[in-house]
Amino acid sequence: MIYKDLNQYSGHFSEYTELRLQENRNNRISMVNGDVMGNSVSSSSGVSSRVYKEGNWGFSSSPDLSDSAVEYVVRSASDNVRFMNDRNKMECGFILPDTCGHYEMDLTTQISRNSQKQWIDFLKDIDDYIQKKYPNLTSRTIVLAGLDMEKSLLTSSGSTSYSMTPRGIMYVSLSMENNGELVELMDVFGGLGQLEDHFLDPTQFYANIDSLADHLSRKADGVYTDAGMKDVILDADLAGILAHEAIGHTTEADLVLGGSVAREYMGRQVASELVTLIDYANSVEGKTCPVPVYIDDEGTPSEDTVIIKDGELKSFMHNKDSARHFETTPTGNARAYAFSDEPLIRMRNTAIKPGTNTLEEMIAAIDDGYYLMKSSNGQADSTSEFMFGVPLGYEIRGGKLGNAIKDTTISGVAFDVLKTIDMISSDMTWSAGGMCGKKQWIPVGMGGPAIKCQVNIGGR
Amino acid sequence: MPSQYWGSLAHLRDAEIPDYCIEQLIKAGGDKVQCVYSKGEKRELNVDAGEFSLFRTTANHGISLAVIKDQKKGSLSINKINQEDIDESVATVLTMAASSMPDEAYDISENQPAKSFSKGPTEPELEKMYNRMEEFMDFSGSTFPTTIIEQAIMDFSAGTSYYRNSNGVAFDETGGSYSFSAMFTSKEGEDTSSFNSAGFSSLDMDNPLHEGGSIKRLLKESAEHVRTKPVPKKFTGDIIVTPDCIMDFIGFFLGNISDYRLIAGTSLFRESIGEAITNGLLTLHSTPLSDDLSGGYFVTGDGYEAANATIIEQGILKTFLLSLYGSNKTGLKRGPNSGGSLIIDSGKTALNDIVKSVKQGVLLSRFSGGSPSDNGDFSGVAKNSFYIEDGEIQYPISETMVSGNIADMFHNIKDISEDNVNFGDEIFPWIHFGGITVS
Repeated sequence: MIYKDLNQYSGHFSEYTELRLQENRNNRISMVNGDVMGNSVSSSSGVSSRVYKEGNWGFSSSPDLSDSAVEYVVRSASDNVRFMNDRNKMECGFILPDTCGHYEMDLTTQISRNSQKQWIDFLKDIDDYIQKKYPNLTSRTIVLAGLDMEKSLLTSSGSTSYSMTPRGIMYVSLSMENNGELVELMDVFGGLGQLEDHFLDPTQFYANIDSLADHLSRKADGVYTDAGMKDVILDADLAGILAHEAIGHTTEADLVLGGSVAREYMGRQVASELVTLIDYANSVEGKTCPVPVYIDDEGTPSEDTVIIKDGELKSFMHNKDSARHFETTPTGNARAYAFSDEPLIRMRNTAIKPGTNTLEEMIAAIDDGYYLMKSSNGQADSTSEFMFGVPLGYEIRGGKLGNAIKDTTISGVAFDVLKTIDMISSDMTWSAGGMCGKKQWIPVGMGGPAIKCQVNIGGR
Repeated sequence: MPSQYWGSLAHLRDAEIPDYCIEQLIKAGGDKVQCVYSKGEKRELNVDAGEFSLFRTTANHGISLAVIKDQKKGSLSINKINQEDIDESVATVLTMAASSMPDEAYDISENQPAKSFSKGPTEPELEKMYNRMEEFMDFSGSTFPTTIIEQAIMDFSAGTSYYRNSNGVAFDETGGSYSFSAMFTSKEGEDTSSFNSAGFSSLDMDNPLHEGGSIKRLLKESAEHVRTKPVPKKFTGDIIVTPDCIMDFIGFFLGNISDYRLIAGTSLFRESIGEAITNGLLTLHSTPLSDDLSGGYFVTGDGYEAANATIIEQGILKTFLLSLYGSNKTGLKRGPNSGGSLIIDSGKTALNDIVKSVKQGVLLSRFSGGSPSDNGDFSGVAKNSFYIEDGEIQYPISETMVSGNIADMFHNIKDISEDNVNFGDEIFPWIHFGGITVS
């Protein structure tokens, strides 16, 4: 538990200053073929301060949470910005936009906490179920992972916030051999909340595991995809990674300044008119998102960033410095992973807004294509060109689902792919364990509805 | 840093803190216990969108405890170094071990002679770091004016770690090094290259940053990649994989000879020690003690003094990279180190001559690909890459997929360059493969 109220330290501030106390706590248990391979907990806490002056930043952190350590890091951050100011005088006179907000959010579970033994028993139950029901599998891997991020913030603009944002997830990975070939499939469960909020009763996951094993069995008999441009349905998992990786990153203002193609597209039609793409701050239609942010780590009240509205590129995601550069307002996207990390422009919960179609209608509308359900990983770059691995999908022939497919990849230029979207499902599903890497790793929300579009699919 | 609040541990020297932890873990009932205490500092300069932006200094320390009791194991790490938190952690990790399931494979390293190791400087030349960054920005701005340095990070990290276990193992490691990385994109009007990145580590700041690793070459290639086109048509041909992306393919082999896949029973190479897993042109070493590298380490994660090792010698698999647990679990020999610090032996052919030998192919500078399937099938986009025809590099390409099977591909190595790149943590040459589908 860290201090919630940091006002006592405001007397240490002399320039624009952010002060953050933070503790990240992890619990991770992994079981492979019934054996406990990992059984660990960890915590990392400390204080950091960031000071802005004349266009430069100074940052300092310490693992010590004492009053003297707080005073030390503020002084050290000021010394660091002075080091920069003495050498880099290019940006004298720059002033950051002023934002102020107050919010307190504690999502600690209201359920009594489980012991480590109960979690190991939970995993053992699931492993026993898999082993007994599917004895022919080559391997079973189950991982339970909890992350609590607890932060307190005070800025010289007067913003204050306290948040305890937990994530609890379980990975289940199964593999089997078919004709000498190893085939693997994984699913992830859980999301916002501590482990107790998701994983009290192992029997609730038996149906999910049956579904995973069924998909794996079908995939083992799967067919290679026909390479080329195809009509496809990208289910929520893939639509989410498309929105995040291929569009979202190109519209982070720091990457725009770094040369992303999106800079030239502002105000232009970059997608089908059906497409509205939003980086949600904390909730969608009253439901809390996987990574709710109410005040960001620069003390800016977070708001939804409508990146694309009805197909037109409308906004980038900003922190204070990029907002100053673009002469606009910060959007509350500045986030840091650890106490020793500085805030960067990060997405929060990025998704295409749901449409009006059903998945059945979308499948029926494809004569020769694929229903692509899961992503294994994804990469995109400043041109919005992307590539995602697809470990699970099915053929669509004559408007009906057909054979499962083997591992494949999809690729394209995202801003071109968005123009081919002609159907969007009305539902909304968030992926359970989204993480994003950009100097620091950080939890993000990715998901959305299913979309029907055209992409280039790999083949043998 | 202000003085630490150690409570009643204030009288202890750094090296005595893990000794205290070991003593407490044994007193609490641990059968076999280990502790790693580490402390370090980082100084970091950042450039964003072509401008100096941030000077960051961080300090951290931490204790990692592991205990085996009745052949059950628990692990815990904290970064609060005071008696109250350590004593509480000792009790917690014992409870975690008691909560777990027994496994005969759990163990700690056996007694070895106590040793202290050190490598690299412990204090940075801060002014020089700033000047080298400024010099790099001047160089890239004047030599490649269409290239935007999206972000550049120069840091110096130094620290000490103390490994102790209840078998009497006591290793101390002190080290420091500089590292530099840059991410960049080139732009002419609305034409934009793919982003690319490059970096390296070093024990000193004696040379300009753009001379390190592949930095200058990749900046030049980025500027050439503003206007690209796809390959003319689908073909089966050659790829020359640059040192910058060979790890995307070598990683497949390392994954198959390390703990997880060997324990899970999904390794392709479980029975392959002494057998050819690539053709005879490839020799791959893991050399954490190499003087040719600025990186490396002296102690493995499970408490053994690390040794250099040849993993693949002229195509023959020589060793797995199993930890003590992985070794006990599989009945296979423990690895001589924890992997990394890789060096691929260079060949005898100049890179230019390798390019001349390619009838139709791709010079692959960055691979944006999905994880290969378990059998090694892969496909991905060739980024920042060039089309080769009739022995000459023709033009920069985009929207081009390369696909094949990694296991097969390494049996089809045609040549390895005499040229190589030292990234500080690794040394890799260019490798020429045949039989790859390009579309």
